[in-house]
Amino acid sequence: MPFLARTLTTLALMLLMTTTTLHAADISPKITVGTQEVGLSVGYMLPHRLTEDHTTKQQGPAFMPYWMMTLTDPIGNSWYRGQISLGAEMVYIQFQEPILTHGVGFAPKIKYTFVALDRIRPYAEFAGGPFWTDLAGKIPEESSEFNFVLMAGFGASYFLTDQVALNVGYRFQHISNAGTSYPNIGLNASLPYGGFSFYF
Amino acid sequence: MTRHLFHRTILGLVVLTATTTVGCSTRWIDVTPSPANREHPVAQSILNDERVPLVMDGFYMTQNGAPQNPSTEVEHRILNTVQETRLFSTLIPFGGNVASLGDKVVTARITFDETIDSHSGSTAWKGFVIGASMFLLSPVIDLDYDYAAEASLELGRWDGQIKRYTARSAGTVHYTVFAATPTMIGELKGQVTEACLTDLMDQLIQDTSFYTASSAPLPDSPIVSVTVKARKPLPSSASPSVVPVSTTPAP
Repeated sequence: MPFLARTLTTLALMLLMTTTTLHAADISPKITVGTQEVGLSVGYMLPHRLTEDHTTKQQGPAFMPYWMMTLTDPIGNSWYRGQISLGAEMVYIQFQEPILTHGVGFAPKIKYTFVALDRIRPYAEFAGGPFWTDLAGKIPEESSEFNFVLMAGFGASYFLTDQVALNVGYRFQHISNAGTSYPNIGLNASLPYGGFSFYF
Repeated sequence: MTRHLFHRTILGLVVLTATTTVGCSTRWIDVTPSPANREHPVAQSILNDERVPLVMDGFYMTQNGAPQNPSTEVEHRILNTVQETRLFSTLIPFGGNVASLGDKVVTARITFDETIDSHSGSTAWKGFVIGASMFLLSPVIDLDYDYAAEASLELGRWDGQIKRYTARSAGTVHYTVFAATPTMIGELKGQVTEACLTDLMDQLIQDTSFYTASSAPLPDSPIVSVTVKARKPLPSSASPSVVPVSTTPAP
């Protein structure tokens, strides 16, 4: 946890340094088709043992740099008015429990961002892709190093400027090997996270 | 098995990187009617002294049928296009000072309707498919964004006669995910607007004789007010010069 705290503090200081000229009153970000977003999310994975076969309490920090491309203009005319964006993210998880191990993945990601509230923009997202971890074989739930990670969650972006936003969110995460080897009980976890985005 | 899957994944990432960086980030714009395909650019001549001022009397914009705040950018673009025809002596934007103009003035009311279709539904599905394919299908799945503009110009001559002109143009930008950029939408709107205004000006120039100062006398209306002002200086040049009127900008 101290490592995570240091990382989050560093991110916060970087944000403060890059957003020294905030104009709080007139922020109405114009995200159009073709607008790109890059960012970094940092969170902490907390285990869910959904069945009696799940015994491992895996946990540790997660780092998720990502890139997104806005694909549509705002859709709809009510509270659900929003935009769709497509992108991908790298996922790095340092499993600190039960054994210090690592996991790396690449996940295409699709996101729906609600734009009705202007500078506060809730979103829902889904991502999934291949995931490698050396935790496999050391726990009863996973037998192969090659796995897939699926993530679904929601969050909210708060725009500090037209181009910079802070994000907080929650994801449910599932890691398993899609039946390519057995046992394949899989790992489930909650992943609360925070981060920032830069739009251009 | 695991090794094979790992190798396939690495191979997929290599192909992804290669396809997205080597020539597969494409986009192109289709505009109809294309300004490049104009068969007969219209050209007329008008005497310099015969030219009268044009005053903007109203400017209305809609987007997908909904009224919008008038865009000064669009208004200036339309006025610049009219100015480039050299049909009128002066152009006064909406709200400008018209006190020093003569009695013979042409008033203009412009309506500019934009229709935008970003194909949100199909784009969302295509995006899902592209993501599910780990972006491998991104070079072969095109996304579309449509924009159409219809400009209506209503010109009122000093004697009360009114002429209306309407032109319409539409375009589509086709792009792949990695070629998308906000500037492509600006490029599309710019090309469509240009085609629309070119068509509109072609129609306007064909009526050049209708807007000459000698085309109609001042109406015999009763005097409702008297203004006392300084006498205007006489024009420095006594001989009238001929001004070419066309949709091509002056050299």
